[in-house]
Amino acid sequence: MAAALLLAGCYSREDMKSEDTATVSKTTPSAEEKPAAPAPAASEPTVPEGEQPEAPLARAAIFLEVSGSMEGFMPKPGASAENTRFQQHVAQFLSDVNRSTAVQQKQFFRIKEKPYRDSYQQLSSTVRGGIREPAKSTDIPSVLDTLASHYYEPNTVSVLISDFIYSPKNAGAIPYIKTDITDALNRAGRSDLAVSVYGYTSDFHGTYYPALKSGGAKRANCCDTDIPYYFWVIGPADAVRRFDAALLSKQPAQQAHFGVKYPKPASSLLSKFQNQGSWYYGDAGASKRAAGASYHTVAVSEVSAQQPVEFVLGLNLAPLPALYNDLAYLKANLQLVGVDTDAKITQVFAANDQTRASSGPESGFTHFVKVRLTRMAKAERPLQLVLNNKRPAWINEWTTKNDSNINQAGAKTFAFSSLLDGVEAVTTSEQDSQPVFNIPLILQPAR
Amino acid sequence: MKAFFRFLYEIIGSPQPPADTPVYRDVIFPNIGLLNLGLSLALVVVFYYVINRAMGVATFNKGRHWGIFFFLNAVLAFIIAIWQANAQQATEHSYIYWLATWNAVLGMLWFFLFSLLLRRGSTNASTTPF
Repeated sequence: MAAALLLAGCYSREDMKSEDTATVSKTTPSAEEKPAAPAPAASEPTVPEGEQPEAPLARAAIFLEVSGSMEGFMPKPGASAENTRFQQHVAQFLSDVNRSTAVQQKQFFRIKEKPYRDSYQQLSSTVRGGIREPAKSTDIPSVLDTLASHYYEPNTVSVLISDFIYSPKNAGAIPYIKTDITDALNRAGRSDLAVSVYGYTSDFHGTYYPALKSGGAKRANCCDTDIPYYFWVIGPADAVRRFDAALLSKQPAQQAHFGVKYPKPASSLLSKFQNQGSWYYGDAGASKRAAGASYHTVAVSEVSAQQPVEFVLGLNLAPLPALYNDLAYLKANLQLVGVDTDAKITQVFAANDQTRASSGPESGFTHFVKVRLTRMAKAERPLQLVLNNKRPAWINEWTTKNDSNINQAGAKTFAFSSLLDGVEAVTTSEQDSQPVFNIPLILQPAR
Repeated sequence: MKAFFRFLYEIIGSPQPPADTPVYRDVIFPNIGLLNLGLSLALVVVFYYVINRAMGVATFNKGRHWGIFFFLNAVLAFIIAIWQANAQQATEHSYIYWLATWNAVLGMLWFFLFSLLLRRGSTNASTTPF
């Protein structure tokens, strides 16, 4: 009898729900007083985007430029029967798109002066067998204008495959390349336009048409160097993100993304993974240790230079494009924004076999950010982990100011960074570019 | 009540390792605190009211008999703390044994206090232990 009474008095984690809601409502008024604290994201469960099946895109239109400058990528098969990496890659990509379940309707176009509708077989045989009637030249701004004006619909994307060699009419127009691209994309006034750019290189057997005519005309039987070509995925931000994830996530390519918005990746503090110093989860309900719960509040009971606190934040970046999974990019662009603290990122590292096989919560994350601090404020302060949206370094490396002697310049594209300047101007409305994601954390002294 | 037990059990220092602090404060401290109080009360009731009143046993009312219950209570308090820490999957740490020892000391204190309060109601042992 007595034992039954005792056990009924026992606490268990399930019993505590009511008490937790009580404490939450108690703390809310004080939360309004703290300086510009972001709402803690801990309470809302973040479902990893990649795990919920997304509805397929309504349409994807693939545009292949077939001007003379593209002939070197798609030489007619000669006696040697050699083909280029462009042919192998693009033929494979077209095939992937054609049988993809992530897109309902697939359309294929050749771009000459204007887009011509092809079937998959026709376009694929063009890629494999070479261009039959090459167009004289295609003007990149007018192509972009067409795609943004006539092929832009919700839930659809356009993919433009081209070498993106834009030669302005005369040398005086070169400084306006950026403006031309901005105007072309902006003509239709799409507010959520996004562009993902993927860069590849291929061997090139044919005539190379430099953008700058001054240094000499076209070069026949080019080239000793690889020539870059690009996929530009153009469409509404959401559709571009989904197309990227479905069809271009495994491409070993250079990439850059403009105006694409990503859902906040799943994240959590890890209190028993490479942790150091006296801190614990300050989130309400942390003692319940529910499976899959995420924590974003660091309660520090003691911190000093002698006794630093180190905590690890786990991130699941799998739903994001490869660029934002790249450790070098993350190390350069992850940033902590906080006040009254010296919190610094000391280490960024990817999951390894050990973390994946772990029984702890660290097994669910692809990347880890270790933060170290030796002092903090006496009261609660917000701390944000931000991934800045910086233009990746490859874009400048792949840009040349003069492509008249392409063998000397190497695998570069004329004024490529200026083209992307133009894209960036359209897709970022504010002066400052939005971060890829930010994860609000809270630093609080232990109570 | 949570705050009271937290105060009581953090007299010997903060929970270790720090990552387990929420579990100790929210679950383990209240659990062992309540169990400990209940256990001490139950043993006092058994000694003074069951054995020495209802059952009318006349040969179990000396100070040494009270001492047996006193130490039984301490040992059970020690075991309860370790059992709770393991049941709540607290990380293995020497702190658990310090906590169990402290729980045993507190158990002895409760037992003593309950003895003072309740011994008068007993027929055979109203003057035990002194």
